[in-house]
Amino acid sequence: MVLGELELVQRSLEGDLEAWGEIVRRYKEAVFGVALAILRNRADAEDATQEAFIRAYERLHYYDLSRKFSTWLFTVTANVAKNMLRKRRRPDPQPSPGRIPDPAEVVWKEELHHAVKEAVWSLPESYRAPLILRYWHEMDLAEIARVLGLRVGTVKTRLHRGRALVRLRLVEQGVIHDVVQ
Amino acid sequence: MWSSDLEERIREVLAQEAEAARQGLEGLEERVMRAIAQRVARPGLWRRLKERWGLGFSPRWALAGAASLALVLGFALGRLFAPSPLPPSAQAGTLFAVVNPQAHSVAVMGDFSAWEPIPLSDPDGDGIWTAVLDLPPGRYEYAFLVDGKWVGQDPQADEYVRSFGEYASVRYVGTGGGA
Repeated sequence: MVLGELELVQRSLEGDLEAWGEIVRRYKEAVFGVALAILRNRADAEDATQEAFIRAYERLHYYDLSRKFSTWLFTVTANVAKNMLRKRRRPDPQPSPGRIPDPAEVVWKEELHHAVKEAVWSLPESYRAPLILRYWHEMDLAEIARVLGLRVGTVKTRLHRGRALVRLRLVEQGVIHDVVQ
Repeated sequence: MWSSDLEERIREVLAQEAEAARQGLEGLEERVMRAIAQRVARPGLWRRLKERWGLGFSPRWALAGAASLALVLGFALGRLFAPSPLPPSAQAGTLFAVVNPQAHSVAVMGDFSAWEPIPLSDPDGDGIWTAVLDLPPGRYEYAFLVDGKWVGQDPQADEYVRSFGEYASVRYVGTGGGA
């Protein structure tokens, strides 16, 4: 029998670790995505993912069962990741400069894909996190705002600016033409 | 490039990232469960206090317990200073109390009522629901129903038992058998 999310949470509240293990299995990729959005570094994001699930379990009695569980879990994750970012006290690693591909030997799509990847991950955290929550997790603006502790208007602005910065970087690299659509 | 095209590219990039992440997350369930089990094995201050003093409730319940205690003290002080005698129900009997300002209905049920709900009342609307029952000496298992939901762990209980997968509270009345 497949247990519902609420039942798993309730069992976890009663100390059933197996139930919490099932929650981890269901949400680990999504939680990792939230952590990666903030930390960018994959190894750090894996550590943050593990810590977030432990922290969430320890604070589960604060969770309001009437609210969406994933939003609460992502909020815990975002807080863990932001704390790690502060403790890391080193600048975000700059993405390695992309290989300059020879247009003659690579197809344009591959080049574009690579350039988009570089552009997204080189965004400042304040723009990168909302963008990733939007396009990876398909979160709506209100949920992004709750997870990141921002106002909805701020999220909207940062999404627009983040996308514009990605486009600008692609233009600078000559991957696309400077035509704003 | 159209904005929709750009968005599609961003989605593709992130989907690829998600795929790559799966490998690094293998076995995470076990790692998390092991880490939690280890932390439980080294209990924190609150847990140690609970174990030492037998306080089988969470900090949230502690707050409710403190409020209930204040209520009981209020009764005691009232008895000392009240110019007129308290109503018969407060003079003798066993107090059942729940602190829950959000609740719409609270009832207690147990061995003494053949597990039929007996409503608690909150006439002044301060979120403290009470009932005083005149119970003969004995051991009673009971639980509260708060808005129809089973609440088995009363902070004022002498002990807890677990039956049918749910907690129930135990109160010893007039037997000296309680904690």
